[in-house]
Amino acid sequence: MAHPQIAVFARLADGDANPVRKIEGQKTLLGRTMHAIAYDEIHDEFIVPQQFAQAILTFAGDASGEAPPKRVIQGSKSRLMDPDRLGLDPVHHEIYIPQGDYLLIFDRRAEGNVAPLRVIEGPDTGLGANAAGADPSRNLIIVGGSGFLSPGERGTIFRIFDRMADGNVKPKMEIRGPDAMGGPFAVYPEKQLILATNRPTGGTLAGPESYLGVWSYANGGSDVPLYRIGGPNGIFEMPRGVTYDVKNKTIIASDKRLNAVLTFSFPELFD
Amino acid sequence: MRGASRRNHRTPWLSALATLSAAALVLFGTQNWIASRPETGLSRTGQAQLISVEPYPVMSGAVCEWEPASSGQTLMAVLQQRQANREVSAARRTIERGDLKPIRMIRDDYAAYSSVAVDPIRNEVVLTDENLFQILVYDREANTPPTATMTEPKRILGGHNTKIEFQCGLYIDPESGDIFAVNNDTVDTLVIFDRDARGDVPPTRELYTPHGTFGIAVDEQAREMFLTVQHDSAVSVFPKDAVKDDEPLRLLQGDNTMLADPHGIALDPKRGLMFVANHGAVHKVRAPYEGYVARNGEGKDNWPLDRNAAVPGSGESRPPSVTVYDIKANGDAAPLRIIQGPKTTFNWPTGLAVNPETGELYVSNDMDDSILVFDGTASGDVAPKRKLSGPKTYLSNPTGIWLDMDNEELWAANFGNHSATVYPIDASGDVAPLRMIRSGPLDKPALGIGNPHPVAYDSKREQILVPN
Repeated sequence: MAHPQIAVFARLADGDANPVRKIEGQKTLLGRTMHAIAYDEIHDEFIVPQQFAQAILTFAGDASGEAPPKRVIQGSKSRLMDPDRLGLDPVHHEIYIPQGDYLLIFDRRAEGNVAPLRVIEGPDTGLGANAAGADPSRNLIIVGGSGFLSPGERGTIFRIFDRMADGNVKPKMEIRGPDAMGGPFAVYPEKQLILATNRPTGGTLAGPESYLGVWSYANGGSDVPLYRIGGPNGIFEMPRGVTYDVKNKTIIASDKRLNAVLTFSFPELFD
Repeated sequence: MRGASRRNHRTPWLSALATLSAAALVLFGTQNWIASRPETGLSRTGQAQLISVEPYPVMSGAVCEWEPASSGQTLMAVLQQRQANREVSAARRTIERGDLKPIRMIRDDYAAYSSVAVDPIRNEVVLTDENLFQILVYDREANTPPTATMTEPKRILGGHNTKIEFQCGLYIDPESGDIFAVNNDTVDTLVIFDRDARGDVPPTRELYTPHGTFGIAVDEQAREMFLTVQHDSAVSVFPKDAVKDDEPLRLLQGDNTMLADPHGIALDPKRGLMFVANHGAVHKVRAPYEGYVARNGEGKDNWPLDRNAAVPGSGESRPPSVTVYDIKANGDAAPLRIIQGPKTTFNWPTGLAVNPETGELYVSNDMDDSILVFDGTASGDVAPKRKLSGPKTYLSNPTGIWLDMDNEELWAANFGNHSATVYPIDASGDVAPLRMIRSGPLDKPALGIGNPHPVAYDSKREQILVPN
């Protein structure tokens, strides 16, 4: 990808509508491989990882142009290895960084060379940690990844931990997610739902098995998605990340092969 | 995948855990079976046998009160819970909305040029497009009229068979006209096409590369091909005619190299120099154990250490730079010189080219909408000797650059405005291009979206955030 940037579009942007602002340039410290972004509506900030510099960058919500980050977590104490995904709990001021077989938990307000508050790691965790999210209202951390699977199993497992989990702890619940998670997932705590995409595998550039799925973690959770949207054999070619807009009852997802951002009206998820 | 490979070398307890889990799963199945059919099976054979499966009834309401994770839950309990989920799930049905269409789709309709190369013998210019995943070939002297939306290319390469996606580096074989196109992200493959290839055709040749290659330069005399590796801050040098699993001849990687998120690369064989443009982000790498094999590097020497060899907490955000090496630099070699500092006006320096006659170094300065020219001997915090920038230039996020020595022209691929612009080779200041090839309307900015992996919603401003 020749040019790193965060492009910001109006909610109603469609087609080749220009972004209303971009965050880009040397002072932003941004780089390629931003595989996650979290908007914090309580503190009006957004957070992205910087894999190459092993850093977590927090920007003001209205950042534009070559705005530097408000805070940077980076340094020898951080244990950051190749951060390309993250999750956020804005209520409890925590950032979750999946790092393969462990999960780092930082104070959202931390800056500089700081150690994580807690680390979930060890054989009992079952991780695989490739993406993370949070349910602040139930004090939960949700970690998506492969990790330890039973014989014959494949695919993504959502492992749900108590928010204060630390060290070698077992998840409270495990839910089978998509066969191949396409990108970072979203958590909708009000309905206890996880929104994630499924992408094609096997080195293909695009494929009909693409879809956006919704899983419930209520009442013990379910491996069977409640909904499959936009596929299989639908609009998606290689879906990636997903988010949602409660007020307007839409789901927003990105697709690598379409090189596009798609907005679906889906009121049944929010009603 | 990376998580799995990392576990393989870091957490040997997992193999024991897998064994334990297999045993636990068998026991779990056995327990259910014993409970439901106590009169048969285990006492007869001593082995667990699946006789029948009876789903649990559908649960509703708060059937389980979660316990704290620290309550001493056992692996057996986790597996039982997972199995219970499955059995509950089996009774549920997914509401299929596969045919649901989006109400809106943000997508740039026009090609976004990321790199450029000229074939002066065939009088053609070649451009990569990171938006619609194409390689486009135009007449070198094409000039899109201001009132026209675009210029039709002579040939287009694109489609799944081509393996073209985020192509950001280009080279044209001066003799054959073969097109070399580097993929930066999703396909770890350098694709090479015959000059007259078109449509959705497989590459004529392909070379499997480290993940995250960006720039390409070729030393024709030595028949060596240089690729920068963005993700691993490295330069891999292959034989020019390398194919498939051929291994690199040399590797430049390590703390002393000062490589940091390298992008463009240029060679000056006459003076024995290699130049690399760096955005500045870097971390240290160390093989985590003896015999470690990085991604795509099975059985290959000189393969760069990758993200699984990153040293935690070693990351830095350095100022941008151009590092200069001996053209045969190898291993953890230090640069001969570094061009770096505020006087350089570097702001994501991306594309590089060298004038073989003068030794001058050309830098496409992505975020400054400029092209900088330095003496080939420049070192330290120096100002460029010439700077091409300003509204008349139409430069907009120039990420690709090429010097056409036959026609004494300087080309820029402008990722920001759907254009490729061409200037006299000694252009300086705010000068209009000699010609411009556009894929979209004049003054229509490119969205700049490229592999939009995550997406977020700003509920305060009702805006959608899309990182590349």
